[in-house]
Amino acid sequence: MKYNSFGYLIGEGFRSVAKQKKMTSASIIIMCATMFIFGAFYLIGENINFIMKQVESQQGMRVVIKEDATEDEISNMENKIRQINGVNQITFYSKEDALASVKEQLGDQKDIIAGYDVDNPFPDSYFVTLTDLNLNNEVQEQIKKLDGVEEITASNDTISSLATIAQGIQMATLGLLKILIIISIFIISYTIKLTVYARRREISIMKYVGATNGFIRGPFIVEGIIIGVVSAIITLAIVGLAYNSVVTSILSSSVIQMMNITLYNFSDIFVKLLMVYLILGTGIGIVGSIISMRKYLKV
Amino acid sequence: MIEFRNVSKSYTSGLEAVHDASFSIEKGEFAFLVGSSGSGKSTLIKLILKEEEPTSGNIIINGKDTTFLKPSRIPYLRRSMGIVFQDFRLLPDKTVYDNVAFAMHVVRATPKHIRRQVPLVLSQVGLAEKAKVYPNELSGGEQQRVALARAIVNNPSMLIADEPTGNLDPNTAWDIMELLNEINLRGTTVVVATHAKDIVDKMNKRVIRIDQGNIVRDEKGGYDGEI
Repeated sequence: MKYNSFGYLIGEGFRSVAKQKKMTSASIIIMCATMFIFGAFYLIGENINFIMKQVESQQGMRVVIKEDATEDEISNMENKIRQINGVNQITFYSKEDALASVKEQLGDQKDIIAGYDVDNPFPDSYFVTLTDLNLNNEVQEQIKKLDGVEEITASNDTISSLATIAQGIQMATLGLLKILIIISIFIISYTIKLTVYARRREISIMKYVGATNGFIRGPFIVEGIIIGVVSAIITLAIVGLAYNSVVTSILSSSVIQMMNITLYNFSDIFVKLLMVYLILGTGIGIVGSIISMRKYLKV
Repeated sequence: MIEFRNVSKSYTSGLEAVHDASFSIEKGEFAFLVGSSGSGKSTLIKLILKEEEPTSGNIIINGKDTTFLKPSRIPYLRRSMGIVFQDFRLLPDKTVYDNVAFAMHVVRATPKHIRRQVPLVLSQVGLAEKAKVYPNELSGGEQQRVALARAIVNNPSMLIADEPTGNLDPNTAWDIMELLNEINLRGTTVVVATHAKDIVDKMNKRVIRIDQGNIVRDEKGGYDGEI
């Protein structure tokens, strides 16, 4: 007589959601509200990280190559630098590139460097960017040891302060997200507790008829999942609309345009946010329903 | 079938509800459990259902000592018994049919089995034509019949009834008692806790009397003694 009662449990879950419309909509509204706040912090955090990455990739060091280095030594150096842990990109600037960029900077006043074309005083160099600004010092140490390196120029102070800021922002968003998850679980478990309380009679009858705890939990967990998924979809739509309008107005501001920074498009993070919401919604639903039922399963 | 060996039960408040109770109810027997309110009757029922744990002694059900039963096995113990309460305990938002079918879903019966068994049991308690009706449209006696149908739908080996006629008028109460007797004649062990003197006298079955936690009488007869 063992029978897979999965279908029955899912049916009961849906029936309960449909029957307890007020309770369900209250849960969904609360869940949407917490998810919206959560989503806002998540998006802010993601974008700050994104901005920090852009800023980080613009920061780097110039490795000046010795005047007498041979072509072999130069290309050898590139391979060695590439292998150092923490190096993101390495770009070669020849003497001619350096001269051209100085010329461009001088513009009308390029007469000052007239004749440099014949005898170019600028050295060959590599521009090295980092994957993580915290590795700045180590990478510099290692590059200095290589043959053919004349010197390294970098704005070390800027790099280290940027690294500290990035770390601080990451820690803060992570801490906020943790607090929000705990608050969400608390609120949802309280809401489901109300549903469980409304159905305590049914639960006690189930216990007397010989239902296992797993069987009794089934419909409530299904209910939690339904509430979670519905809230996730609603919140995603609201957050999407809000995000797009906020981002458009931020990007049009002159400060941001000057800094040459872009933000995520909503479509870039849509899948990620959807996953986060679905996992969060079902997770909070399941954990919430289990927490709120413990007391009533002890008959 | 149900055996109590020197069972005592004290609550944390210090009250000793059952003191050194020993008795045995055999397979197919019909037994009344009588006593005034607060005598320990309800505690005895709770001990059989394993809703409460005995403080000392052993309770053997269907040949198994349930004293050290793991909590996760309790549902399976309860499937061997049908339970009926004074207040019916039906689900108001489910029809008569669904209330009975519910007990079968809980033990994971197949839909096919449920469709066969539920009408059968409903006609056994005389409610075949009320299958689609909701509990609040039924009389008290009819509601208790639904509860009885739910209790026996999984063919339990014993039926435990806690004051099954407490909320019913005398005529209806007697109908329910006859139904319990019928179920007993089909081979199910029946234990009825009650203080309905006239019914116990009329039935003339085994009577276990409990008074202030002690079993003071255990013999066939009426509420107060042999008839």
